[in-house]
Amino acid sequence: MSRPSPKAIKAMADVAGVPIDAATSQRVSESIGPAFEGFAPIAGTLPFDLEPASFLLMQLAKVSK
Amino acid sequence: MSTEPALMTLTAVAKAIADKQLSSHEVTRACLHRIAQWQPHLNAFMAIEAEAALKAADEADAALAKGDNRGVLHGVPLAHKDMYYDAGKVVTCGSLIRRDFVATTTSTALQRLKDAGSIRLGSLQMAEFAYGPTGHNAHYGAVRNPWAREHITGGSSSGSGSAVAARLTFAALGSDTGGSIRMPAHFCGVTGLKTTYGRVSRAGAMPLSQSLDTVGPLAQTVEDCALLLGLMAGADPEDLTASSAPVPDYMAATMASIKGLKIGVPTSFYVDDLDPDVARILDETIAVLKREGADIVKVELPDQRQLSAASQIVIAVEATAFHKRWLIERPQDYGPQVLMRLQNAFAIPGVTYLEAMRWRGAALAAHVAATSKVDAVIAPVAPIPAPTIAESDVGNTPGAEAVIQRLTRFTRPVNYLGLPSLAIPSGFAKSRLPVAMQLIGRSFDEATLLTIGAAFQRATDFHAKVPETPGTSP
Repeated sequence: MSRPSPKAIKAMADVAGVPIDAATSQRVSESIGPAFEGFAPIAGTLPFDLEPASFLLMQLAKVSK
Repeated sequence: MSTEPALMTLTAVAKAIADKQLSSHEVTRACLHRIAQWQPHLNAFMAIEAEAALKAADEADAALAKGDNRGVLHGVPLAHKDMYYDAGKVVTCGSLIRRDFVATTTSTALQRLKDAGSIRLGSLQMAEFAYGPTGHNAHYGAVRNPWAREHITGGSSSGSGSAVAARLTFAALGSDTGGSIRMPAHFCGVTGLKTTYGRVSRAGAMPLSQSLDTVGPLAQTVEDCALLLGLMAGADPEDLTASSAPVPDYMAATMASIKGLKIGVPTSFYVDDLDPDVARILDETIAVLKREGADIVKVELPDQRQLSAASQIVIAVEATAFHKRWLIERPQDYGPQVLMRLQNAFAIPGVTYLEAMRWRGAALAAHVAATSKVDAVIAPVAPIPAPTIAESDVGNTPGAEAVIQRLTRFTRPVNYLGLPSLAIPSGFAKSRLPVAMQLIGRSFDEATLLTIGAAFQRATDFHAKVPETPGTSP
């Protein structure tokens, strides 16, 4: 996973119905880039049977102990 | 303990009113006097409702005279972050967009404090839509730190931190999505409790990120936080994410011994790249806890940078989804910092957001495994004491974004894992700015954190220090 390019960000914002200019898409790319790079080791590695609700189960598992 | 009513702790003033040693009127008037002294210097209040507060205080006194004690907060005046809906009241959420928004419901957390007898002093300033870690606000001005007024308070519960530190309110609700209770506690020298995700109902609290938002108190002491948590915690039919996990006796927890409790000190990340004063205060805090009977052990935590990154992805997407309509219809009504943060979400594909959500349970399981031998983990809230308002002003100061990223480094991982964390005043930097440590616990085990925090406060007096009132120096 690599950080999205300003061009890709501009296209995604257009699709979302909230257009942004080129300077803004450049800034967004720089601002969100570290989050993408930090999450890159996880993205694309998760096992198939993992749902977001596993978080709540994990919380409750601790309570029952 | 101070005999000046406004300087008393929440627990002490509530008892004094119940025992009729002080009237609610006297206490409320003392708070209003202090607010009048400090507000021009701090900008901590969004609204001050002096007349209504005194009327409510008189009604509380009359009720008590007739033997009608409504609860443990009977007649205690409080003010909260201006994002808790209170039916019939304007709730600005720190924004221009909601400048005239009148709530039609009352948030569950606030209602539970009202049911215990508290009365309303007014509302407290905050970062616009709770989306900022410094205390800047483009519409209503920055909130200032009572210890050094050119420095930030931390955000987003900026007014809560500032007002509790200056003793303008005995306690205040904050909210913590990425550190918004713990950072004001750290920068302003007060106690702040970020609760487990789901411990306190979010119903009627302005949403920022529904998967990460938590409701919690800022107060002078751990005991005060325990009192408020006990009143607010528990299931709520208005918020099905509020847990039905048992609510323990948190006040009893503050009186327990810490002998034999194991506190983990991370071997990396939370101890890296610390300001020398923060490093010194971490060591001193550990020494106090050890002296009080805790066992101190090293812990190796999973990669916290990945947790922080996942947290940023979740908050960005969820916040922007809430705001999308206004982003289309009223973009000009956002402050520049908040608009910039909201625009960041357009870089994140839906699949990436859902991967961040899917990983959360596994990440919590890994954290639980890594900390299975300890009762809590200790870490600084932030690597530095409060920077100045100018040097953290994104848009006007080069490098401010890097300063802000550094501020939230130690708080975001806890939000992603949904864990409770108690920020306790732990010392002062050479610059005389306060510094806090956070105790990070297990899911729904706030009680152990309160036990450790209360023991620390019995052994130290950092939480009892009060900044000098303007105009009183010789």
